[in-house]
Amino acid sequence: MNRSIVAVLGAAALGVSLAAQAQDVVKLGQIEAQTGTLATYGWMGYQGAKLAIDEINRKGGFKVGAKTYKLELVSQDTRGNPQEALIQLKGLLEQQKVKYVFGPFLTNVFNGIEPYATQNNGKFLMMGGATAIHAMLGKPNHEYLIRTWNWDAGESGFGQLMVDYLKKQGAKKTAMLFQNDAFGKVAVDIYSPIFQKAGIDLQIELFEPGTKDYSAPLAKLAAGKPDFLFPGYTDAVLYDIVRQATETGLFKRFFLVRGSMGPGLKNKDLIDDYIAYLPKYFEDAEKKEPKVKEFVAAYKQYYKTNDFPYDQAPLCSSSCYDHVYMLVQAMQKAGTVDDVAKVKQALLSENYRGLWNIRFDHTGEAVFDFDVLHMHKGGNITATRVNPH
Amino acid sequence: MTQLIAGQLLNGAIVGTLYGIVALGVTLTFGITGIVNFALGVFMMFGAYAAWYFSDTLGLPYPLAVLAAVAVTAAAGLVADQALFRFTRNNLVNGLLVSLGLIAVLEACALLVFTSTPKELHRVLPGIVMVAGLVLPKMKLVVFALLLVVIFATYAALTRTWTGRAAYAYAQNPEAAALMGVATSRLQTGVVVYSCGLAGLGGALYASLYSLEPTLGSLFILKAIEAAILAGIGSVTGALLGGVILGVTEGVGSIYLPLAFRDAYGLVFLVVILLFKPAGLFAGRR
Amino acid sequence: MTRLAGTLVIAALLAALPLATQSDFVLTILVFAFLQGMVAVSFNLVFGYAGQLSMFHAAAFGIAAYATHLFMQHLGVGYWGGVLLGATLVAAISVVVGAICFRFRLREFYFAVVTLAFSEMARLTVLNWNSMTNGSLGINLQEKATLWIPGMGVTRIESTVGWYYLALAALGLTLLACWRLVHSWMGRAFAAIRLNDELGDTLGINVFRYKLVAFVAGSVMAAFAGSLYAYFLGSLEPGYLSIDQSLGIIAMVLLGGRSAVAAPVVGALVLTALPHLINFSAEVRSMVYGAILIFTILVMPQGIYGTFAQLLRRRHA
Repeated sequence: MNRSIVAVLGAAALGVSLAAQAQDVVKLGQIEAQTGTLATYGWMGYQGAKLAIDEINRKGGFKVGAKTYKLELVSQDTRGNPQEALIQLKGLLEQQKVKYVFGPFLTNVFNGIEPYATQNNGKFLMMGGATAIHAMLGKPNHEYLIRTWNWDAGESGFGQLMVDYLKKQGAKKTAMLFQNDAFGKVAVDIYSPIFQKAGIDLQIELFEPGTKDYSAPLAKLAAGKPDFLFPGYTDAVLYDIVRQATETGLFKRFFLVRGSMGPGLKNKDLIDDYIAYLPKYFEDAEKKEPKVKEFVAAYKQYYKTNDFPYDQAPLCSSSCYDHVYMLVQAMQKAGTVDDVAKVKQALLSENYRGLWNIRFDHTGEAVFDFDVLHMHKGGNITATRVNPH
Repeated sequence: MTQLIAGQLLNGAIVGTLYGIVALGVTLTFGITGIVNFALGVFMMFGAYAAWYFSDTLGLPYPLAVLAAVAVTAAAGLVADQALFRFTRNNLVNGLLVSLGLIAVLEACALLVFTSTPKELHRVLPGIVMVAGLVLPKMKLVVFALLLVVIFATYAALTRTWTGRAAYAYAQNPEAAALMGVATSRLQTGVVVYSCGLAGLGGALYASLYSLEPTLGSLFILKAIEAAILAGIGSVTGALLGGVILGVTEGVGSIYLPLAFRDAYGLVFLVVILLFKPAGLFAGRR
Repeated sequence: MTRLAGTLVIAALLAALPLATQSDFVLTILVFAFLQGMVAVSFNLVFGYAGQLSMFHAAAFGIAAYATHLFMQHLGVGYWGGVLLGATLVAAISVVVGAICFRFRLREFYFAVVTLAFSEMARLTVLNWNSMTNGSLGINLQEKATLWIPGMGVTRIESTVGWYYLALAALGLTLLACWRLVHSWMGRAFAAIRLNDELGDTLGINVFRYKLVAFVAGSVMAAFAGSLYAYFLGSLEPGYLSIDQSLGIIAMVLLGGRSAVAAPVVGALVLTALPHLINFSAEVRSMVYGAILIFTILVMPQGIYGTFAQLLRRRHA
């Protein structure tokens, strides 16, 4: 008799404790290119999101209403292949029942998944940085879309601000050397009119991605005697372009809207001016901003490394660390983890202050503060923080 | 304009010798083992990262780092040969498949270890010279000279040493060569190792001029194969000339015509040449 | 007779599959696998049966995809009109490319490189002809594939189940066409050429003509696959014509096997589905892919299908 009472009580106690431990989980899906030649954009997003989720979970999760939730990251590597991404997204939405997806950054991947995603409008939110997302924002049946990167053009665009700064440096003629790929073409479309309006002559050359030796285009462009070289847009090509441009003495002044300061610093003694747009100059911000300092320390500890990826960190401005926190905050404000329409509404009303000051404009595109870095000869850098609000 | 052209002729020749050294590896491997070793591209990448590691992480002086890189790449080539290529002699398709597999594995390893962040070697020889109206970094000329020396040394070794002539004999007629006492499998392994060493050298020197990333081999191997074919598989000087012609065509073509089609110029040239000389420009020649 | 029965059983099972699983995820993987299978089977016609290593297949695939859309857009034809015109275009181009290659008697390796050169030229054209192809940004396809179904008229194929049956039917037709070709007198000519084309010449076989037929037939089948694939995915990009695509096709054929008409389908199934069944980290997945290729060569040179067929034959022997 006693034994069975004990058994029943024991089972009850077990049941109660199990129930207490039963966690509600909100899954966050991620589809980015983490490997392959286009891995630059996906990798940092993965690193940052994973860190944020771990931090939140270690603090016990987050509360929405009466329930406590933990986050789970379901990350997929698209390898830059639209076919893979489509299958992966279907897996995320159907098998994993994910309602929130980070990514993609790559346009070709986005184009591949857009029809299916649009079919499932209303069932989930997609927060990605792809160039092609910009054109889809605000279109009917695309309410699921949010773009987490800022845009060069438009009212809150930073392109105009950058060119204004350039004009103040006395530029009259600029040579533009960009990759012949998705963003390269868009960059030409965006910047040609901006330069024209500013009265700066722009000579354009596009090169095949994968080029390593820029002797020909540099010689060709230098013949036109421009004041500045405007090279694009990933570190992979910038290191070579800036090096070859400076060691031959063909160019001494540079203007960039993407990429890190690395290429400039490596060649600092041969450069007169190196003006770059950077989402954040981490080397500096680490010293001046407490949140950034904490982030760098947390990253090093979590990933057990002494090497913080300063050159990649600016890419955490898209679908990364801050955005996990923003999403959680939005769920708390909306009082729901399931009603994606309400969560989106909450997201769009947020003014988030994390590593970046981020808000979303009425179409769902991110606007955040950025740095204009100006490196002078010898490596001395002045950073101007710009707040496009 | 003429100055631009002259400059690009010279630059094209220099870039072409880089294609040429890998092309030499391709052509030797094809002649002696009957396969096209696509993986020479990743061996080049291996040599480049090795040189960077020895030089910038371990602090060895650059020339020593290059030698160490070549040695390490050749050793890797030996391992690959014994484990994989040995089973694909004279089987073009299997050789292709094995190469593809090796490329996938090695590139993934490089990505894991080094990440896709570009690496740059410290400036080994800063400074420029003016040649034929072209501003050239001194290091490019040094690389040019070194590669030429190695290619001609290979040519000399092939025509003047016993091993070299044995290799030629084997390429012409494997059975007869074996009957004459040529150690066939030793020769084949030797050629694979040597080709990987050449690719490693190319990579180590490449590292002094350009930034490094795990996929640097894939572009180069394509160009190297184009160069090897252009010249005619089996021709040593041809490999060099093929590389130079390819480099020059690309450079000069980019001046006149849209840069975006740069890769196409070399290809068009290749197709045209092959139509009139199906065995390549210098086939039959040494 | 048992082979026919076996084929019918498999076909019936495949046709019944959507009734068993409602999973869009699984069906999508299968649709892609079937379409890639079409490409692999058509490649095997040129490579496994006629013995020519063509690197032009991805270009045929991609050109047809773009052409279908452009014909629909500029000439106002319906989907199948666009598909047929696209296939015709690819046929014409491959006749030219093939004629150039075979006329000049380019062998094995040189043939591969020249077809690669043409493929790259096609890719660069697509990449740079911005006004037509939108270059590297690719095109989002607004129109859909349509099919005339008795009783329903012309309907748009939009559901995954619909595409499943369409892709399965297309694969089946491709297999049938290849099978008929291979078992005809043309097929025997292919076999002769594969073994030794100089000998074929002496025997009075018009080597040039048969190589060209194999090449064009293979390219046209790949063209059909390309038109279907693009409209299933819903977008076009220059990557369709990349070397990676060509290499992927070769890997499928080598993994599946060259000796039977349907063998490459096994390779296509494995390579399409595998990344989604194993959950490794990204780099490890690449290494597994590479290891599979190497393993196949060293241990299973006849491919999966070939090895199994051999095992079964030994059992019965």
